[in-house]
Amino acid sequence: MADRGGRGGGGCCPPLDLMRSEPMHLVQIIIPMESAHLTVSYLGDIGLVQFKDLNADKSPFQRTYANQIKRCGEMARKLRFFREQMLKASISPSTTPMTRNNIDFDDLEIKLGELETELVEVNANSEKLQRTYNELLEYKLVLHKAGEFFHSARNDAAAQHRDTEARQVGDASLDSPLLLEQEMQTDPSKQIKLGFISGLVPKEKSMAFERILFRATRGNLFLKQVPIDDPVKDPVSGEKIAKNVFVIFYSGERAKTKILKICEAFGANRYPFMDDVGKQLLMIDEVSAKIQELKTTIDVGLLHRDNLLKNIGYQFELWYHLVRTEKSVYHTLNMLSLDVTKKCLVAEGWSPVFAANQIQDVLQRATFDSKSQVGSIFQVLHTRESPPTYFRTNKFTSAFQEIVDAYGVAKYQEANPGVYSIITFPFLFAVMFGDWGHGLCLLAVTLFLIFREKKLSSQKLGDIMEMVFGGRYLILMMAIFSIYTGLIYNEFFSVPFEIFGPSAYACRDASCRDATIDGLIKVRRTYPFGLDPTWHGSRSELPFLNSLKMKMSILIGVAQMNLGIVMSYFNGRFFRNAVNIWFQFIPQLIFLNSLFGYLSLLIIVKWCTGATADLYHVMIYMFLSPTDDLGENQLFPGQKTLQLVLLLLAFISVPWMLLPKPFLLKKQHEQRHQGQAYARLQTTDNGSLEEQDHDSHHHEEFEFSEVFVHQLIHTIEFVLGAVSNTASYLRLWALSLAHSELSSVFYDKVLLLAWGFNNVIILIVGLIVFIFATVGVLLVMETLSAFLHALRLHWVEFMNKFYEGDGYKFSPFSFALLAEEDE
Amino acid sequence: MGFWVTSLIFLLAGVIGALSLRLCCNRGPSTNLLHFTLVITATVCCWMMWAIVYLAQMYPLIVPILNEGE
Repeated sequence: MADRGGRGGGGCCPPLDLMRSEPMHLVQIIIPMESAHLTVSYLGDIGLVQFKDLNADKSPFQRTYANQIKRCGEMARKLRFFREQMLKASISPSTTPMTRNNIDFDDLEIKLGELETELVEVNANSEKLQRTYNELLEYKLVLHKAGEFFHSARNDAAAQHRDTEARQVGDASLDSPLLLEQEMQTDPSKQIKLGFISGLVPKEKSMAFERILFRATRGNLFLKQVPIDDPVKDPVSGEKIAKNVFVIFYSGERAKTKILKICEAFGANRYPFMDDVGKQLLMIDEVSAKIQELKTTIDVGLLHRDNLLKNIGYQFELWYHLVRTEKSVYHTLNMLSLDVTKKCLVAEGWSPVFAANQIQDVLQRATFDSKSQVGSIFQVLHTRESPPTYFRTNKFTSAFQEIVDAYGVAKYQEANPGVYSIITFPFLFAVMFGDWGHGLCLLAVTLFLIFREKKLSSQKLGDIMEMVFGGRYLILMMAIFSIYTGLIYNEFFSVPFEIFGPSAYACRDASCRDATIDGLIKVRRTYPFGLDPTWHGSRSELPFLNSLKMKMSILIGVAQMNLGIVMSYFNGRFFRNAVNIWFQFIPQLIFLNSLFGYLSLLIIVKWCTGATADLYHVMIYMFLSPTDDLGENQLFPGQKTLQLVLLLLAFISVPWMLLPKPFLLKKQHEQRHQGQAYARLQTTDNGSLEEQDHDSHHHEEFEFSEVFVHQLIHTIEFVLGAVSNTASYLRLWALSLAHSELSSVFYDKVLLLAWGFNNVIILIVGLIVFIFATVGVLLVMETLSAFLHALRLHWVEFMNKFYEGDGYKFSPFSFALLAEEDE
Repeated sequence: MGFWVTSLIFLLAGVIGALSLRLCCNRGPSTNLLHFTLVITATVCCWMMWAIVYLAQMYPLIVPILNEGE
């Protein structure tokens, strides 16, 4: 950490933006009690300090500002209650621009309390009224339905009565059964007075209700149920339920008590009902009038509540924001430690070095604004702790940095793979997604997102949409590179075009007989840009493309892995770690290039000379029998000697990677121990104090075996990884082949087939299928899979060459971030 | 157009891209260096892709054999 000043490219160039995380320092701020609140809230505005919790051992209740936090929590609860109420009444809080700091916190607390009581009261009243109203509605229904029932029953009874009388008068023939008369004549004189109960029971319970009643009274009852057409609101729960109106006739007091109990158990509401028709009508009128009256009362109540909520809605966001920031300020204040004199608070935290002036300005402003007698004290502390990692990204680079951070947050000031990922990630994606038609579609989508950026960023989007929107610049780069690689692959929805001049191939003679057997011959110079269009659809297309794309994958892979190893050199130089450069970077570079660098060289030489050598054979026998003659597989003179040298280098570089580093580390450790003994005797000026601190950190036991095993694992991983990682790059070949094959299948087997029928309807159907297949499979699924494979190639194959990624992210106390989190 | 001429065009395109970015958005030395790095990386990637495809077609070991149906 002593060489923070040595950042950048060796003095010749300025430091590369984004390559290293911002230099940070641990600062201590001593704030007088009276200006503490204002100071912290000002610091929250600039959002450049990450406070350390200095009271980690205290429980939340023991802290200085526990009481205020409780108050804030209470206010937040009230506000949430208001929001719920507004949601119920479908009133949205207005999104007027906020004007801050003209509300006093205490006033707000009182105001919120008052509003809550009022709202609760209004709600309770309206609930009571609503309940009465629902009861009356039910009563009215009972009156109607039961009235109908009684009416029809009475009519029946009267008809029957007339019938019997007529019969009695009419015929007293011998045929008539004797008992009938008796039966009929029970009526008027011996009639017992039956009691009845009427009410409403929920429809789904009605069957059980009936059964229980029947059992309880042993069948001595008569139950009549009529379903209601529309579900009614239950007075108790306020929910809409389908119900049945029932009337129960019973005899005897005991039966009545039983029935009443059962009604209660089933939640059946009972309503009094008059036998008399006149009274019934009177009752109905009365109930209707009451309902009218209640309705107006309820409406007035609702209007009042809506007005209240609307008033809250005007300022809701403002209040909510205030309470939230206030709570976070107190939360932060709780992390500060109280001075012995109890007159100041001591804050410690990380902040970027560039922010020091800004923070001091803010501190001064806070002191001035709070009219404090004493200013805050700002000082930088020296520490052994590793600072947090902070990259200043913008809207363009943030998506790329996210990709890197998803793997692991960079160690403090470690070389950031995000810099190169900005280009290499979309490039590798495009190698797998090469089709300029598809690239144009992607470009259209992402341009739409970018042009409506302002509008879209303010509104809430769905989960997936949010993700796509967040990565819009990433997708833009992916689209641009896909258009480029599409032009190289010469594919536009899998159709080739002769854009860059005529094809280099033609028939051997005028008759063109051999074209389908021996093939065409090259008559002109090579097609200048990308694949020759003649390849498309030919029988030898696939063998040629396979060979080309496989070799391309290896070349690109070796190039990217070399870039990764070079990055480890930059890290070694930046951290002044000569051991890593000499005993890790150099042997790694030699090992990779003596095997796969050589393979790349062979590929290029073979292309340039047009030789027919078998590269597999060369590579395999380079290991199996390196001294044998290459024979016809020789590509250039001296190849055998070169191979022997390379093989030797590769074999040397393995122990070179493995052995010296642990021993050197041990030696360094011992030296430091001795050095420390001397350092103690030196004068204790600031610099050497820091140095001592630095050293005592390493004072812990040096476990040689552990370091050695660690290095062994590293070496094995690299040596095996060199092979497996190179093989892993072949996914570029596989995916790009899959993409071009799929798109040509959709084009040939759907669009051209439909075209061949010469029928408009079939053509339209074919076109629709083609569009859906292109969008669904090629644009969505293929994009996703190519994205994931590019991600893997960066995370594993590229980043494991140099990236440690064991840092932690800088998370400053910031009101702006607070708002984002909340959403 | 041969291999070297087109390579030169790529180089020119890279230089022009870097210069125009430098002229259009000059945001301090560090950011300019980042832009420069990005342009160079992009140019190298694009050139590499083109060069691979070009070289592979220079001396074809297999030639296009047309399908019977065509």
